[in-house]
Amino acid sequence: MISGRLRFETSRAMEFVDLTRRLRDEVRRSGLRNGRIHLQSLHTTLGLAINENEPLLLRDFQKLLERLVPRDAGYEHDDFSRRFEIAVDEPVNGHAHCRQLLLTGFATVLVEEGKVLLGRWQSVFAVELDGPRHRELAMQLDGEFVEKAGFEERDGNGEARLVEIELARQLLVDPDPVALPMRRLMEAGGKRLRPRLVQLTSQVGPRHDPLRAALLAAAVELLHNATLIHDDYVDESTHRRGRPTVAAAEGAERAIAVGDFYFAKATRLIAEIGNAGVTSTMAEALEAICASQIDDVALRGAFPGDHDSYLSVVRGKTAALFAAACASGALLSEAPADVVGALRRYGDLLGVAFQMADDMVDFSPSSGKPVGLDIRQRVLSLPLIYAAEDRSVGPEVRRLLEGSLGDDEVGRVAKLVTSSDALRRVGEEARGLVDAAVRELESIELDGLRPTLVSLARSAVDRTA
Amino acid sequence: MNVQVLDRELERLEGLWADGLSESYRSYLEAVGDHEPSAQTKLALAAALIEVGLRLQGLGGRAAPPPTLLMGDLCLARASRLLADAASQSVQVAFARTIEGLSAAAASGNPSRPVRELLVHAFTAGA
Repeated sequence: MISGRLRFETSRAMEFVDLTRRLRDEVRRSGLRNGRIHLQSLHTTLGLAINENEPLLLRDFQKLLERLVPRDAGYEHDDFSRRFEIAVDEPVNGHAHCRQLLLTGFATVLVEEGKVLLGRWQSVFAVELDGPRHRELAMQLDGEFVEKAGFEERDGNGEARLVEIELARQLLVDPDPVALPMRRLMEAGGKRLRPRLVQLTSQVGPRHDPLRAALLAAAVELLHNATLIHDDYVDESTHRRGRPTVAAAEGAERAIAVGDFYFAKATRLIAEIGNAGVTSTMAEALEAICASQIDDVALRGAFPGDHDSYLSVVRGKTAALFAAACASGALLSEAPADVVGALRRYGDLLGVAFQMADDMVDFSPSSGKPVGLDIRQRVLSLPLIYAAEDRSVGPEVRRLLEGSLGDDEVGRVAKLVTSSDALRRVGEEARGLVDAAVRELESIELDGLRPTLVSLARSAVDRTA
Repeated sequence: MNVQVLDRELERLEGLWADGLSESYRSYLEAVGDHEPSAQTKLALAAALIEVGLRLQGLGGRAAPPPTLLMGDLCLARASRLLADAASQSVQVAFARTIEGLSAAAASGNPSRPVRELLVHAFTAGA
């Protein structure tokens, strides 16, 4: 059994505070599989109720309580001259105590298969009768909990393994000339953030199918890696994830063929899933990625560029696939349109923030990558843009970037960027975008996934590699 | 109607129209007669974009320079989106398998049948 407190602030004299989402988050966090949540009000003027969260109905309830127990009916409790040991700030609230008598101070909600068992229209409310105040409910979660390992599985590890198995299965059936280079790239690592987003968001709707989600997640990862293979040829990169790129190891011709193969294979796997919304979402994302790659290369003539062009490129190049991963997972599970829309916006904002964090990593000596790779390759990078705008270091940065970039020049530019305010500005901007992404999750029902999505968003930005 | 669709779908790729895309598109129009009339333009354009895109990339031959490769990538991506818009699932799968076959052959250094022949055949998957 797990005990705890639900704390919240009320803002009005009478108020219905919907606790349903918080209860779902608590159940998910605790790993309660089958059992009960017991709630107990720790106040004599705070009730509990289970009913429909419909604003007009809530006003009806409020009016009903006001009719049955009018505020000015004259309550003996409010006659302080007849009471002993009353506090100096004792409120006149006899009506609130009497109203509470009509409600209940306790509620038990059942949990089945890790989900709070409520009817379609049911929500759990704390009913404030004498606000605004700080309030606390005692809470106990009781029943059968998923073992720690199992809980972690539900929280990601097990699902992540499913994706790895699916990726291995797909690569196993492909011809060696394309499979081997892709396998080397995949085995070298990668954060698998996009497949994780697919898997998480595929749990949001009523039709969660982990195997279909793993297949979609694997296709998204293959697609992402196919674009990286072509990117590395375009950027003339020699290494990725500490290993030679496909173009460097096997030549440009092979890199193009491998990229094409997995581009096609990923689109086929997605088509075979048979969800038109998912297919369209991923196809639109792929188109946005390719279009922005062209813009990215074109903008290198005006290196380091400006904030607007940076955002425009990053929205396509990085954020489009994050947004599509989030939306397609939700679509796969048949989540409502507003949920799909909010998750798509979450993915878009997270994708831009992720790219900004990636730009910062280029200036981190602890990243394991050579510092200043983006400078050398003249890749759009927000810290460089900000450093070039900086009053003190900007002129020198711009002068260096206009010339040829040998080791000395790259080192000097990197030093100027780190000595300026640029990295702090980029970090703040990225965290602001993550905050905005998290806000997108506030208005939708996520069945307890909110804490995981929030934590994933924060960790995608607060990293050094 | 068809002209409007073409105009919209050729954004960023206009220069390719006179460079073989137009001829390729017309030839595929003949191959999509069995498909829904409203889908024929998009299907034929998708096939033409794949053909031109693969040629631009230099698949199976000498690698294209980076800007040309990216243009080829955009052709393939646009085609993929057009197929998602207008093709049946079986045609989408057949097209993807065709590109998989062509790129696997290219990676192995093996010859393959002409792209147009393969793509025309892919249309029959949904007819």
